[in-house]
Amino acid sequence: MTVAREAITLPLVFLTVTLLAGLRIDDTVALVPPSPYLLVLGGLLVRLVVQSGALAPQRLLASSRSELANLNGLVVLLTLWVAAAQAIAVVIPQSGLPRLAFAAFFLVLLLNTAAAAPDRQRLLRSLSVTLGAAFILKFVVLHTLSAPGDGAVKRVLRAALDGLTLGALIQDVPHPLTAYLALFAIGLFLVGVLLLPSRPPSASTALLRTGNAVD
Amino acid sequence: MTRALGLGLALIYAVAIAWLYVRQPQTIAQVTGGLSAAIGTYKVDDQAFADAMQFFRNDQFVEARLAFDRADPAVRDARTQFYVAYSYYRQGWGRLYHDDPLYAEGVKAVDRAIQLAPDGRLRVDDPGLGMHTAEELKAELEAGLRRDASDFNPMRVFRKRK
Repeated sequence: MTVAREAITLPLVFLTVTLLAGLRIDDTVALVPPSPYLLVLGGLLVRLVVQSGALAPQRLLASSRSELANLNGLVVLLTLWVAAAQAIAVVIPQSGLPRLAFAAFFLVLLLNTAAAAPDRQRLLRSLSVTLGAAFILKFVVLHTLSAPGDGAVKRVLRAALDGLTLGALIQDVPHPLTAYLALFAIGLFLVGVLLLPSRPPSASTALLRTGNAVD
Repeated sequence: MTRALGLGLALIYAVAIAWLYVRQPQTIAQVTGGLSAAIGTYKVDDQAFADAMQFFRNDQFVEARLAFDRADPAVRDARTQFYVAYSYYRQGWGRLYHDDPLYAEGVKAVDRAIQLAPDGRLRVDDPGLGMHTAEELKAELEAGLRRDASDFNPMRVFRKRK
């Protein structure tokens, strides 16, 4: 990994994710900081990234490195943590039962992924699928269900759904720009994770991969 | 060199993001105004402020607020926010009753003015005003929003707008 990537690119990428993923555009613009719970989920995600080898922390913080280099490494780790919390926050619905369900789902999913101990490649795939699926559920499915309709039939269906679910499902639909910014933030977060200094694959893993390739 | 530059950039960016999270600016003007205020270069538009004062003295409060918004687009000037609050007070004032929504907006504006004033102390020596400090204005607005026995005092019709 180059010095520029560690000192400039990665912190700026993760800070941009922190900024964009916190934006909620409606009638007003709000920046929502991560809750303590989301910081815990972000911490779990960082742990997973380290466990899978997508991040080798000894390449960011080590006694053999200079103080300035260690400071750069610390900045990468801290910004990764907050960006991870915000990347999860942006795909969790804003209110009601879906928010509770998504929050619990992410906790279980992160713990389950940690138990499965994936390697770097599998973790990156898993993260892309998880964040992508959550994005579609929140910004496409839930917001389409919650959007106030133009026609009478849609308004009646929405009112019926709201009544059936006791108002627990319907969400406030934000400005469409929020979805684009969220998608960009998620993509940027995944790029950031991809760029992290990774652990070199062990000899056994390399052999296994070679075997799979031959098969 | 690259490491020091990266650290500096990351710190500046992180501080800017933290500032945005704390201040919650609503417009680009508020963002740029806030940043220029942070480095001490923010300035109220004098012409727009003069226009606003003219409207204010003619009791054209809606027009005055529009001009005050032009004068202080970033909402960073304590004196302008004081006048905005005062315009809500004067527009909402009535002999028989006060307009609660306007008074509530006035309280928000005077709170902003107090927050922006150095040490929270704001005095405006304008002879055309009946109240010269943010505290007096805030107390008057909050009294107008309160429901108490004095609301039923028939003598209140003789009170004068400040």
